[in-house]
Formats: sequence, structure tokens, C-alpha cells
Amino acid sequence: MRIFKKDPDFKFMNKRWMAFAISGLIMIAGIFTYYTKGFNLGVDFTGGTMVEVSFRENISVGDLRSSLQDIGLAKSEITRVGRDENKFFIKTIQSLEASENQEEGGDISRHEEITIKMRKQFMTEEEKVSISAGKIDLNNSSLKKITDFIASNGISLDDAVDSAGKIDLLKKRTSTGLIPGIADIETLELKKRVVTLLKEKTYFGNFTFLSVDFVGSQVGYKLRQQTTLATIWALMGMLVYIGFRFRLIFGLAAVITLAHDIFIALSFILFFNVEFSLSVVAAILTIVGYSLNDTIVIFDRVRDNLKGMRRNNAEDILDKSVNQTLSRTIVTSGTTLATVLSLFFLGGEVIHAFSFTLIIGVITGTYSSIFQSCAWLKIWEKQFLGKKNK
Amino acid sequence: MNNSNMWKIGLIVLVIGSSILMLYPPDKKINLGLDLKGGMHLVLEVQADKAIEIQTEQSIEQLKTLLKESSIKYERVRRVGTNKIEIYGISLDNERMVKDILDDEFKDYEYVFAGTQTTLSLIPNVEMRMRDLSIDQAIETIRNRVDEFGVSNAAIQKIGLGGGDKILVQLPGVDDPGRVKGLIKNTAMLEFRAVVSGPFVTEEDAIQDQGGVLPDDVKVFKTNPRRMDKGYYVLKTSTVISGKDLKSAKRGQDSYGAPAVSFTLNSQGASKIRKFSSANIGKRMAVVLDERIETAPTINDVLSYDNIITGSYTIEEVNDMALVLRSGALPAPLKYLEERTIGPSLGADSIRKGLYASIIGLILVMLFMLFFYRGAGINAVVALVFNLIILMGVMAYFEATLTVPGIAGIILTIGMSVDANVLIFEKIKEDLRAGKAPKSAIDSGFKKAFVTIFDANLTTIIAAVFLFQFGTGPIQGFSVTLMIGIIASMFTAVFVSRVIFDLVYSGKRKIKKVSI
Repeated sequence: MRIFKKDPDFKFMNKRWMAFAISGLIMIAGIFTYYTKGFNLGVDFTGGTMVEVSFRENISVGDLRSSLQDIGLAKSEITRVGRDENKFFIKTIQSLEASENQEEGGDISRHEEITIKMRKQFMTEEEKVSISAGKIDLNNSSLKKITDFIASNGISLDDAVDSAGKIDLLKKRTSTGLIPGIADIETLELKKRVVTLLKEKTYFGNFTFLSVDFVGSQVGYKLRQQTTLATIWALMGMLVYIGFRFRLIFGLAAVITLAHDIFIALSFILFFNVEFSLSVVAAILTIVGYSLNDTIVIFDRVRDNLKGMRRNNAEDILDKSVNQTLSRTIVTSGTTLATVLSLFFLGGEVIHAFSFTLIIGVITGTYSSIFQSCAWLKIWEKQFLGKKNK
Repeated sequence: MNNSNMWKIGLIVLVIGSSILMLYPPDKKINLGLDLKGGMHLVLEVQADKAIEIQTEQSIEQLKTLLKESSIKYERVRRVGTNKIEIYGISLDNERMVKDILDDEFKDYEYVFAGTQTTLSLIPNVEMRMRDLSIDQAIETIRNRVDEFGVSNAAIQKIGLGGGDKILVQLPGVDDPGRVKGLIKNTAMLEFRAVVSGPFVTEEDAIQDQGGVLPDDVKVFKTNPRRMDKGYYVLKTSTVISGKDLKSAKRGQDSYGAPAVSFTLNSQGASKIRKFSSANIGKRMAVVLDERIETAPTINDVLSYDNIITGSYTIEEVNDMALVLRSGALPAPLKYLEERTIGPSLGADSIRKGLYASIIGLILVMLFMLFFYRGAGINAVVALVFNLIILMGVMAYFEATLTVPGIAGIILTIGMSVDANVLIFEKIKEDLRAGKAPKSAIDSGFKKAFVTIFDANLTTIIAAVFLFQFGTGPIQGFSVTLMIGIIASMFTAVFVSRVIFDLVYSGKRKIKKVSI
């Protein structure tokens, strides 16, 4: 099968100014967004506390915000996960005002205070009654705790392990991590005595913390530094190798293309206000690797064609090389895009930001290797053609 | 089939076979990272400065005792900064004797005499060693506590550049994160000190009681408001007994049956407390845990080996306190730099979804390759499956951990592995179109594409090495999977795929058509 009936013969090089203009515009818009809005940095980089909380009953972002306001966390960022799920990310960078426990522990004790206060605040009256009655919360108790609880109430250990296991599994199967009510327990076909016990002495908490992230403020700063440094070193390493295997001019063009990809991806992250976390960094690195691969494949062809063709017209050589590798570029991008899209749509919220960045990256990477990498060789036409004439 | 194909097939079978062997059973061999599995991730910093400070305080105590024993008069001895000791008021006649003491007993210090003032400072090398030691000791203590609490598969290690100055604690699937955190953080520095006076409502009152200026040998301590009334006591700086004198600790109860911490002293500790209590009957003694007073009972009797600490404790608190006392004190307080807790249901959810998405993605890629390259597509699919098997096998062998960034590495690997095949196939097609005979087209396709694949992959590996070298945990996870994946893809996409081609077409003398 072939993508193109005839060998493709697109004139990519004479569109280079348009490509530069498009990329330039995106980057300018990106820089503008950076200065007006800035990155939506995750706690990885800012330091602070991020909690993912899941509620059993419907609650709106507004409700949640006013509830947080009551405990002095008005400035928290609240994001709903998905569209109609009752799951939220709550990000708190600010410290609690008038914190009692300032003197020792610093960041962490404030973090502890924040999570404790949130827990108290989110509890319904009903829950508070249940707690003071000594009931245990099935939705916020671990497998072990539930097992111990059942076993300590006169039920054999085997039955306790079996029942607790089933309850735990039920919890994990729900997308909220919460069991709605006793009716769901009754579908589990547990021993009658266990069900009676559960009805009497347990209740179903209204919310649960799915994840809690705390990062100390100076960690975030160091991480930012280290990540940037690692990327720069990686780019330098590639420059040297490509310069050695091809020629310096190729290395330069490749590194510029990669830097271009990073900046475009960052711009889109800014436009869509994607939370910038460590996994987004991993995604950007993936983009770099991916785009690099694309670029080298084309450069390799350019190197070949430089040997075989008359070297008076850089544009012909470059266009031909891009065209010759075009169907390969499309096939590879297509397959990679397929994986990345399935990650984005099916992979769940944990990797959402990550897969979003990858989608942008795969598209940018493909575009840049076709329109940008060779265009830079064209810009430095003299050096590109020159050396071989010796 | 000729001989050279035989050994090639043998090699492939060997590699794939051993990968599967390493991988089996996959749920036991592949370590999922906490971001996928749920659990707790802590990064702690040992306040090594504090450890040095404590060491210096101990040296001061020792110095005072030695000076007293040799009847050398001095005005006062005090700590300056974390690692310096200043002695004031030594008369010149005694200088020789002081020098002897310092030479014999304080080899870790350099000293300077300037008139009646002597300054001791910790030798930098010794200090470095102490800092390292305090981190190692902290790791050991944390490990004891975590083990005793019953967390399985806990990973506790030094991280950071150089010898590492931070501690990473990973607790997969931990049951009760809040409690474990408390257990780890508890410095558990237990000290019994004589009460000079108290309680006072404010710190100022306490100082006022001592005439406005605190003498050298006393210090104001705060009570732990969870155990007793909020307030302040003036206590002696020197300790009656400390955590080192402890032999064991367990849950016990007071005479009313309320939970209490029961502990046994070693013989040294017992003799110290016996001596102290018999001389101080009717006076008060404070139990200080991590610089907070837990209780300050009156001494009614001579104390000896077995003792209890009472207070308004819950059973859980008593258990945890006994545990931290048993596991020994941390050499210095810890500071939390990072804490990430991923609940088990979120973990289960993300594994399920991630796995689902990856498999769908993989199937899409395979279908596409089969559809687009027909017969040769089978090569690509086989190569891809082999690649993943080898990647997972190697990861299992090195006990590497699969995390979200790791999945990123795998996706890139799939992309590059497919790409290698695409490059080869496109080259073969090109040659076929140019009128080359099928056999030589396959030959030259592999040969030419190899240079490209080699360059592209090696460049990526170079990048991955740099990222590994300079990056942090998650980035390292990414680069490890990427490196392994690329090397595996060189083997599968280039070597395995070639062998399949050879097998399919080697029997026939003349190939009319290549399915590609």
C-alpha cells in the first residue's frame, strides 16, 4: 500500500517563511500568555499542597469554594475532574493565616493543618454523629482496618478477610473510590451476621481523599533548576553527536528544531492552562526524543542526497529528501498519534496533562521535522553546500 | 533453512525465552511505582546541624565534668554556633592541665587559647563524618520503625547528589498514612530531667522566677498540651537518663488501668535513676520527649529498672510511642520536603485505565501496520511484541519501577520501534519501485535503513543518558525505560525482522513479489 500514488514532490522549502511565521506567531502568543497569565504550575514546582477529593453527593465548585473560605483557604485553586464526576483537585499554595503551629516543622505542619482542617470541614453533620457514636467509616478505612474491625466483633477471621476483601474490591471498582450506601454492600452476598454488624457499627463517609501531594517550597525551586539543566545538557549532547556524525550545521539545525518543539509545546500548555507537573516534563522530553528521531531520518536522507545529487541547489536537495521520507513520516506519526490519542481518551485523569502534551508534541514534532529542520539548512545554504566543494 | 538462520533463531528464542522467564509472573516481577499503585512517598531531610549541636552539647557536659574532676576553676562554658565551644575564665596556671584534658578527651576538636578564653572547634572532617553518620543512623532508625509497623516492600534510601543528604521513603499500599508519618517523624529523644521550678503560664514567668536571667545549667521547656496542662517548666540541662539508657519499651497500664508506656532500663540507666530518685524523693522529675514535657510527676519512691510513663494516652498512641522508643532515637529531627499519598482506589483506577489505554493504542498500531504493510506488517507486529517482552524482562531483571513517566518512555519506544520497521519497509518499497529484484531490495533496504536507525537511536540514547545523569527521580525513570527500549528495538526491528524476512523468502529461489 502507498500513501502517495506518485512519488510526492511538494515544494516545502519555499514555504519556509510561512512556517517560520506560524511558529513565530504561536511562540509570541505563548510569550504573551506567559507574561499575562503564566504557567499553571503544579505543586511539584511551586511547593504547596494538592488534594484530590471525591464526594459521594453532588457538590459544585462554588459550594466547595465557600466551604474552603470558612477555613481560611479562599485562595485555593479548585478544578473539577472530568465533567460530571464529583471529584476535585484542590491546590493550596498559600499558607493558613494565623497558624498556631508556626515555630517548628514549617511547611509540613502547615500542610498537615490544611488537610486536617479540610477533612473536618467536609464532614457532614450526620458523619460527625456517626463518629461520636464510635462507628467506623467504611469509605475511609483501609482493608486491614476493616478486616480487624470485623474480626474483633465475634466473626471468624476467614469470614472477616473474605468480607473485607469484597468491600475493598467494591470500593476500587467505583470511579469515585466511595461506596454509596448499604444497598451496595447487600449485593456482595456477605454472611448475614457481617451485614448486620456493618449496618449497626459502620457508616459510609461522604468523601475521601484520593491523593494528597505536598511539596516543600524549596524543593520545587530546585526541581525547576535541575530539570532545565538536564534538558540543556541533553540538547548539548545531541548537538555534539550530530555534529560529529553529520556536520555541525546539521547539529545546529536539529537542536534549533528541538528547541522550537519545546517552545511550541510550552505555548500550548500555556494556552490550554494545562497543569505543569513532572509528568508533563516527561512528556516534553518524549517529544524531544520523538522529534529528534524524525529530524535525523530526514537529515540522513539529506546526507545521502548530498552525495548523489548535483550540489548547486540546496532547495532541490532538501525538498527531495523531505518528500522521499514523507510517507514514512506520515506512517510513524500516525501510529504514534494513535497510541497517544488512546492514552488521552482512555487513560484516565492521572495522565491527562501528560497525554495532552504528547498529542501536541507529536503533531509539532512532525510539523517541525518537515517544515523547520531542513528550512534551517536552507538558511545556512552556504555552509550547508559549501564544505563539500573543497 | 541454512545454518546461519539456525543460530539466529536460536539467539532470538534465547533472548525472548529468558525475558519471559524474568518476567514471569508479571504481577510479582514488575514493580509498579506509587503513582500507579497507591501508597506513600516521602522525602525527608535530616537536620544534621541539629545533630552536630547535640554532639556539641554532650561534649560541653563531658568537659564540665572533667574540669570539675580535675578541680579546674572556670567561669562558664558555652556553645557558639553549632560546632564551637568557648570556655571562659581559665587561669593561666591551669592552661597546661586543660591542654592535657583536651588532647586526651577531645581529639575531634581543634583548640585555641587566647588569654583566659579557650575556643574549641570541631574539625571539619570529623563534622563531615558526623553528618554522614547522622543520615545513615536516621535511615536505620526509620527502617526499624517501618519494619516494626509492618509495612511490606518499603524502600528507604539516600538520594541527592554526592553521598546524598536526603532520605527517600517509599511505602507502597500503606494502610494508615497519617500514623506512619507520625511514627517516622518522631525524633523520639527521650530524656528525664530534674524539675527546678514550675509550672508557669508563660515563658517570661519562668525566666522571671530565675531572677530574670537563666543560669547556665537550666533551661525552660514547654509542656505537650495533648498530655498535660499548657505551661512551662524550668528544668536542669543535664539529664538524669536518656534514650540510650533504655532497654525496652512496651504498652502497659497505670494503676487505674489507663494505657501507659512501660519501659525497662539497662543496668547503667537503672543505677543512674536509682541514685537520682533516692536523693530527690518528694521533688519532681520531668519526662521530656522531643523537647516537650510529657509528664512531670513527683518522685514518691526510689526508681529502678521497670518504670511507666502515664498521661492521657490512647492505646494507639501508647503503642506508637513504645515503638519509637524501642527503635531508638533519631540522631536529629527530620524535615519533610515532600509527601505524596496516593489512595489505593486512585491507584487501582489509574492502573486499569492506563493499561486499557495502552493496550488499545498498541492494537491500533498493530492493525495499522498489518493493513498498511500486509505481509511485512506481520514482521513489524512480531518485532513490536518482542520489543515489549524484552523491555519488560530487562526491567524485571533490574527491578526497575514502572511509573507514569516510565509509560512515556515505553510509548516513545513503541513509536521508535515501529519507526525502525517503517524506515526499512519504505526503503525496500522504494528500491522495488526503482526496479530492483526483491531479494536485493530487501538486502539494501535493511542495510541503508540501518545507518539511519543507528544514528537516530544513538542520539536518543545520548539524550537519555544525560537526562538520567542530571535528572531527578521521575525523569530518571523515563530515561531508563527509554534506553532499554531503544536497545531492544535495535535488536527486534533490525535483527528479528530481518530473520523473519529471510525465513519467508529463503526457501524460494526466485521471489516474484514481496508482500509489503
